[in-house]
Amino acid sequence: MKRRTFLNWGTAGLGTLWAAIGVSLGAVVRFLTPSVYYEPPRNFKIGTPADFPFGPPTFLADEKIFVFRDKEKGFAVASAVCTHLGCTVQYFTSDRRFHCPCHGSVFASDGAVLHGPAPRPLEWVEVTLARDGQLRVDKNKVVSASYRLMV
Amino acid sequence: MNPFRDVWQSIFRRDPLSTDKGKSELVFLNLWLHIHPAKVHKEHFRVKHTGYLGFLTFYLFLVLVTTGVALMFYYRPHPPEAYQDMKDLRFVVFLGPFLRNMHRWSAHGMVICVFLHMCRVFYTGSYKRPRQFNWVIGVALLLLTLGLSFTGYLLPWDQLAFWAITVGTNIGSYAPVIGPGLRQLLLGGHTVGESALLRFYVLHVAVLPSAVVLLTMVHFWRIRKDGGLSRPLWKLRAEGSPPLVRIGEPAEPELRAVVLPAAREKTYGLMEVVRGKPLFEVVASAEEEEEEKDVVFSYPYAFFREGIALLVTVASVMALSLFWNAPLEEMANPAKTPNPAKAPWYFLGLQEMVSHSALIGGVVAPALMVLALVAIPYLDSNPSRRLSERKWAVWAFTVFALANVVLIIVGTLFRGPGWALVPPWVHIQGAE
Repeated sequence: MKRRTFLNWGTAGLGTLWAAIGVSLGAVVRFLTPSVYYEPPRNFKIGTPADFPFGPPTFLADEKIFVFRDKEKGFAVASAVCTHLGCTVQYFTSDRRFHCPCHGSVFASDGAVLHGPAPRPLEWVEVTLARDGQLRVDKNKVVSASYRLMV
Repeated sequence: MNPFRDVWQSIFRRDPLSTDKGKSELVFLNLWLHIHPAKVHKEHFRVKHTGYLGFLTFYLFLVLVTTGVALMFYYRPHPPEAYQDMKDLRFVVFLGPFLRNMHRWSAHGMVICVFLHMCRVFYTGSYKRPRQFNWVIGVALLLLTLGLSFTGYLLPWDQLAFWAITVGTNIGSYAPVIGPGLRQLLLGGHTVGESALLRFYVLHVAVLPSAVVLLTMVHFWRIRKDGGLSRPLWKLRAEGSPPLVRIGEPAEPELRAVVLPAAREKTYGLMEVVRGKPLFEVVASAEEEEEEKDVVFSYPYAFFREGIALLVTVASVMALSLFWNAPLEEMANPAKTPNPAKAPWYFLGLQEMVSHSALIGGVVAPALMVLALVAIPYLDSNPSRRLSERKWAVWAFTVFALANVVLIIVGTLFRGPGWALVPPWVHIQGAE
């Protein structure tokens, strides 16, 4: 075998081997990424507008959201997941602020960080009116703190 | 013809143990014992040299494998059955609470023993040439031990488990670029749920234990290949004694080993198959003559002491398990965060740092700590193993170890509701 032939085949062989390893690693990562998530839906209906009172926000425990309803401004939905480490924040009517039980983060009623290690304000998510007259919340769509739905 | 003798001799081919040949063959004709040398230095038995901490760690791992397999017979890794099975193990299964307690307390014990073992190896300078790489393997085993503890922590599927893992995995998601993706891959979802439980289970019972077994084999094998256990500090040459002899390539300026002049020509028996000149450490010259009679057969001297260490380990774990129950809180409830929500105790130092800054405390500092641990044997070029000749290294490591311990104690005992600084002796009214 010629030296040139040997080197050509050798390079091609090694290249193929590395490519195969790369593809296999990619396949492993893709295999471990679920194609279907069996977890609570991130896009769901929460009931009709009449279900929600004016005044302090309503906490929906299963969905981990706060539903705000204001006479002039309308509906807004905030995620109750603390942006620090994922604990569920609580709303205190006494000081009208969100408090995180884990590391003491405090958020204003518009979600802004007032105190503590949280790096970002609470997330506001999109709320729309579905055709059947129910409110629909989509956690995949993050909106600005000024977003409101007038009903 | 004696069939019983034939059967016995087909299994055990060694000479009788009353002979020296039999004692040697017991070690090197036996798969499980041949990791030992046939003969060992008496000084290696001294508790004050090693504390037997490596053995304790290994024995705790054996206890964990045994009790873990037992628990698997009654555990289904799916909510809410997982929690129901925990209740069964607690109240219905015969010996269930005892086995679970043993598993829990051994796991905590193993984290502690790995840490103390690391401290012992550091303070005796036993990570130095030629043992640098075995230290690195040790660091990997430390990380695997933490990984095993962390994955096991979720399995009871109670409030403690759920929120510890929620907080713990969110710390990881602060890693730049790969963090969030890595967390999602680990959990198999966006939040801790049924896929996360299954993934943690598979990691806990199959993937991580296999990795620990493989690396432990390398770790033990390297001890032998690196020249056996390091000599105790008190055997090191006293100051002002004769000059040391360099071993290594003539052109190589760096010291490969420091030996006594007399030790250079020494050849070792069949168990020490080493290419070139063997690597020795410095011993006090007064001890040199005694060296021969300080060496004894592993059987029975080493095996007896290892057996005692095993008995003490298992008995301690059993005693703890008789009197203290592993905690089991109410079932995991994603809607209700306990206040305060804490990670497992060995990660509370991390959580304490994260409570000040998530990126620096949760990602940068721990990454630097692991890198520093791995790099210790390569950064520390000082060949001396004496504490008085390596003040800087000893200071740096002591600060590192103490800082970790202090942070863990603060996170465990001094953090109350809302992560406020509360001393453990103050009771807060209405605290959960």
